[in-house]
Amino acid sequence: MTTNKGEVLIRTENLKKVFPGGLHALNGVSQEIRKGEVVVIVGPSGSGKSTFLRSLNLLEVPTEGHIYFDGTDLMGKDVDLDKHRQRMGMVFQHFNLFPHMTILKNMTLAPVKLQKRPKEEVEKQAMELLKRVGLEDRANAYPSQLSGGQKQRIAIVRALCMNPEVMLFDEPTSALDPEMVGEVLNVMKELANEHMTMVVVTHEMGFAREVADRVIFMADGQVQEENDPENFFEHPKSERLKTFLSKIIK
Amino acid sequence: MEWLREQIYNNFIADNRWRYLTNGLKVTLEVTFFAVLIGIVLGLLVAVVRSTYAKTGKMKIGSFLCGIYITVIRGTPVVVQLLIIYFVVFGSVKIDKVFVAIMAFGLNSGAYVAEIFRSGIMSIDDGQFEAGRSLGFSYGKTMLYIIMPQAFKNVLPALGNEFIVLLKETSVAGYIALEDLTKGGDIIRSRTFSAFFPLLTVALIYLVMVTIFTKLVGILERRLRNSDH
Repeated sequence: MTTNKGEVLIRTENLKKVFPGGLHALNGVSQEIRKGEVVVIVGPSGSGKSTFLRSLNLLEVPTEGHIYFDGTDLMGKDVDLDKHRQRMGMVFQHFNLFPHMTILKNMTLAPVKLQKRPKEEVEKQAMELLKRVGLEDRANAYPSQLSGGQKQRIAIVRALCMNPEVMLFDEPTSALDPEMVGEVLNVMKELANEHMTMVVVTHEMGFAREVADRVIFMADGQVQEENDPENFFEHPKSERLKTFLSKIIK
Repeated sequence: MEWLREQIYNNFIADNRWRYLTNGLKVTLEVTFFAVLIGIVLGLLVAVVRSTYAKTGKMKIGSFLCGIYITVIRGTPVVVQLLIIYFVVFGSVKIDKVFVAIMAFGLNSGAYVAEIFRSGIMSIDDGQFEAGRSLGFSYGKTMLYIIMPQAFKNVLPALGNEFIVLLKETSVAGYIALEDLTKGGDIIRSRTFSAFFPLLTVALIYLVMVTIFTKLVGILERRLRNSDH
């Protein structure tokens, strides 16, 4: 197993998150994500796995702790968060494409406006990405004209257009009809093969087993267990993980 | 037939009385146009401040002040606001009545437009905000590129309606003796002692303007819808 990949890209230190209602979503999570690593996070609902993922680019602001991205503490006071977010792509459960823009515009908006790259260059890159996910003929369509699986593939390449150093996936297939899950997972697998650093929250155990370098099991806002996929699924240590796996894998 | 011709002659032709209507119409359009501009700018500003507070907790004081503005404006009649601005705020200085009317109606419209825009902003799914922020857009740029265009499309019917109301509302400008369309018709009535023709003509002109405006909003709405869905 090659768990030790490149240098550390993201390091979290004792992340805690208490929601206004008093719910403790994160109870001290310390993790390291290395360059090129594919980390899959699984766990029962309410385990804090999505909150953890969303903390990594501070869509969710932790109550306590530190997040170091490429050496910078994102929780620091004078951090230009927007600049750092440009280097972290994110894919959401509900796609969140911009409905008032064409697919091409969805993809080129941020690179052109934020990275100040020439429009022609970005459009060229966007078209190449669209071709890769087999949607080049939909460049001028609007999101509402696409199926869920197509939308999610667009959401992935929209994030890729920014040339991010890490991709965060928040349950990317949970809102999809079953027959569309595969096409999205395939794009993600390809991305992993190209050594993109990925953090994926998902219920797709097959994907975790096949693609992940490391699988993390979260419950009660804490990391309960982590391992390479083989040992994770074949030799779970804690009772909780065993129970969880027995419920999920029939 | 003879009576009709005499009525029309008396009310509109004699002494060039039709000029009361055309000049009045000019004033009405001028006041409405600039009041709409002020209303949009002011409303947009207030709406952004209020929804920023609702979404992020920032701009607390600004949001509080905007809340007071909306409460006061929506809680008092526009005629009273007009009179206060003319006789109290600008009471001691000589000032153009058109300017006063523009300020009063603009200030008034701003409060309603603010609530319309705010409901539009709040109606956009939080996921749109998150997608914008996750790509690296600042809060302001997310608003500008992603939220506002969608919000605007959603509120366009309500916005169009607000401006139709505003156009008709300017008819109370006669309270500060501004000679707008309504006042123009009324002046003719007081000269000729016949109410029917001047006032019905005034009503007809408003109706035509509102109809045209409604059509324009409809066209714009259809355009925006086509570029979507």
